Amino acid sequence: MKKKVKQQISGFSEIEQEIRILRKQAPDRSVEKGQVSRIIERLHPRKLNLAVSEIREETASAKTFRLVSGDHYLPPFLAGQYINLFLDVNGIRTSRPYSISSSPGQTAYYDITLRRVKNGFFSNYLMDEVKTGDGFQSTSPAGYFHHNPLFHGKDLVFLAGGSGITPFMSMIREVTDKGMDRRIHLIYGSQQEDDIIFSQELSERASRHVNLSVTHVITAPSSSYAGHTGFITGEVIRSALGNQGLTEKMFYLCGPEAMYGFVLSNLEKLGVPKRRIRIEIFGPPADITAHPGWPEQITKADRFQIRLKNGRVFEAAAGEPLMNSLERNNITLETSCRSGVCSLCRTKLLSGKVFHPAGAQIRKSDRKYGYIHPCMAYPLEDLELLI
Amino acid sequence: MTDYDAVIIGAGNGGLTAGLTLARAGVKTLMLERHNIPGGCATSFVRGRFEFEVALHQLSGMGTESFPGPLRSMLKDLDMMKDLAFVQMENLYRAVLPGQMDITLKADRAEAIQALKAKFPQETSGIDGFFDLVWAFCNQWIHVVIMKDPEATSEKHPVYFQYALKDTQSVLDEFFKNPLLKSAVGIYWSYMGMPPSRLPFGDFAVIFWAYTEFKPFHIKGGSQALSNALLNAYIQAGGDVHFNCGVKKIIVKDNRVTGIVTDQGDEIATANIVSNAGTYTTYVELIDREHIPEESRRELGARTVGTSAVTIFLGMDAEPEALGIREATNFITETTDNDLAFSTFRTLDPPMAMLFTCYDVDDPEFSPKGACQAAIVSLAYSEPWLSIPTTRYHETKYRYAQDMLNTLYKVFPDVRHHIEEIDVATPLTHMRYLGHPGGAIYGFEQSARDSELFLDGSSPIEGLYHAGAFAGMGGFQPTLMSGQSAARKLIRQLK
Repeated sequence: MKKKVKQQISGFSEIEQEIRILRKQAPDRSVEKGQVSRIIERLHPRKLNLAVSEIREETASAKTFRLVSGDHYLPPFLAGQYINLFLDVNGIRTSRPYSISSSPGQTAYYDITLRRVKNGFFSNYLMDEVKTGDGFQSTSPAGYFHHNPLFHGKDLVFLAGGSGITPFMSMIREVTDKGMDRRIHLIYGSQQEDDIIFSQELSERASRHVNLSVTHVITAPSSSYAGHTGFITGEVIRSALGNQGLTEKMFYLCGPEAMYGFVLSNLEKLGVPKRRIRIEIFGPPADITAHPGWPEQITKADRFQIRLKNGRVFEAAAGEPLMNSLERNNITLETSCRSGVCSLCRTKLLSGKVFHPAGAQIRKSDRKYGYIHPCMAYPLEDLELLI
Repeated sequence: MTDYDAVIIGAGNGGLTAGLTLARAGVKTLMLERHNIPGGCATSFVRGRFEFEVALHQLSGMGTESFPGPLRSMLKDLDMMKDLAFVQMENLYRAVLPGQMDITLKADRAEAIQALKAKFPQETSGIDGFFDLVWAFCNQWIHVVIMKDPEATSEKHPVYFQYALKDTQSVLDEFFKNPLLKSAVGIYWSYMGMPPSRLPFGDFAVIFWAYTEFKPFHIKGGSQALSNALLNAYIQAGGDVHFNCGVKKIIVKDNRVTGIVTDQGDEIATANIVSNAGTYTTYVELIDREHIPEESRRELGARTVGTSAVTIFLGMDAEPEALGIREATNFITETTDNDLAFSTFRTLDPPMAMLFTCYDVDDPEFSPKGACQAAIVSLAYSEPWLSIPTTRYHETKYRYAQDMLNTLYKVFPDVRHHIEEIDVATPLTHMRYLGHPGGAIYGFEQSARDSELFLDGSSPIEGLYHAGAFAGMGGFQPTLMSGQSAARKLIRQLK
């Protein structure tokens, strides 16, 4: 619109006057440079530089690593959240997410607790090679496996298996230390009695706090063991919790892959609605070819060609997440969850086909336009990627 | 020697349409986006079995096949209609003041008038008068502003010239007596982030008229489907794009853009930039102060950054009907005093006005079968959120969200028994993902002095163009169209 037309609008010159005055008194915004990122860095730093301050043996096969900040400070987190640790393992830059086991009541340090696993490339490296004083990077805390006061309620049931105790330990420590108005019943499955991580602390806390009860379930008990044995069945849950109000509680699950299907079907039989169940995300399955929907004709060892936009070509095994093959070829993607959920590694597939197991959460329109989450995508053909 | 004819900073709505327009015109273009996904606000995230819509509530300017609106025409121009499906929404909105008012206006002038007259029989002539005024105004606005009638005068177009800069509240007061009626008719103010007392009537009239004439729409698959489709077309047209690649500097020499430096430190030479990072961020963060003329620094300093929001994303294990949700768009207010409601957005106290949108009402396929999702939004400024120590951020966020839910439960009591997922975004969340000052979602304030009538949106630096909410108006239609218009200006300069 031409100025002489605009000037005919009632009120135009008054507002022009207002603008003239404001400009006369205007602050110089250039002094605000960097303000937005400084504010966000306090809550969600892009990367944390951590140093190991202490290593504690929890059981014969489990250790806690106490991590302090190497430079900055550690942001607050919600009990149940994880950090993704980056490490060079045998010359390969890779990462794995670990739940924080310490209480969010303080952020002088984060504890992570892990357990030796068969063929555990990353965990076993941490267990065997990392020493006090070593430093590495991680993402800042993330994840949705935490108590949400808006709808979770105050009656919580934690179903843990093995090292799946770690997010629960953080929640238990927070609730008992702060005297929060929440009731927790932990049902914790371990292999043997001496495999129980945090065994002593759990019984001490349970004896001191009426709002915490602990039920152990042992798969391979010693002859003298008198408690629940086997797996976390509907019977065990019912005997631990009673029959009353099962559908009002919030159930949280975290443990080994095999535990999920089993416990979920038992909860369903007990009439617990899906909305009252929280499931912690978990990384790639041990054997993807056993996963429902995996094409029969393709074996773990089959290899396909991966072609990048710059013309580089390398091979990747069908039985391994694409992200691992990329890392082995020195291509590091942004990632936090390594479970197909956070979407940070989202990558466009220009041609070829991948397998995403259930649990990989891909947006509808991402599926339509060929976006994949390489941390949980397995090559089924030769692929061309927009990287 | 340049690497690209044009570089686009940011793959938000404006960046995407700018990129596509440039690539289609054969301009060698590079798009840089600091996140891993295109869309900016126009995005979604997956939680459990829900894919949550982040920003789009009612898409304006679509119109129908036979009566296309400006946005549909633009998407047709860009050959995008074949890739997208749109769902027409039945209602403008339902406006509720618990215990005092509950009224639903269909997206149809005659039916909306009828519904208002039925609730407010004492004010039938005022209702007719107001609608007549809005339509007369928009008719004249088309001539003066859109068709740019060279002979436009206040005699020829009296309604436009008299009302364009009046405040909306005074016009509501002119036609209506009952505060509830004023509240019911004026409620779209929250889409503009300005209370009626400070919102130019021209902007209010156009939005009310446009939603009624061109109907509100939703996109199948959500706004991410639009962002993905635009990016896909851009790539197919030969455009280059890098994700996870922010820009830290725009290089200026002799008042002319010569390139950019990425966060990773790579320098890319170009003579043209479309910045979808927002004018504030562009001038404060990306361009060294010495390159910005004093007059432009004063212009920026005199502007007011607009509001952010708190959004609650709600996934429920029941269909809308079972929860008593019959309208997609529900405005819930606790007062007829909009200035008071707006003031609550500057505090951490319960907000007195909010929007509840249930996407599955008009599109039952939006969520999985037997489930539905909704977004509850209240406008909110970032300042009070910045005063909280980081250690108390989470508890403050949940306490604030609980207050919003308590208001919601007054209108939809059954919702509380069917919640399966909830996530909450605050002004700090918007600041984190958008990078805008104060987490602003609509750019600068939509007050008269910050409107396009007083600012032409052009850059003092040659080769620099702006797209997005900070370059004009907030919302989907304006930002999508701003990108195309910035690209066209750039193309004209290239020729």
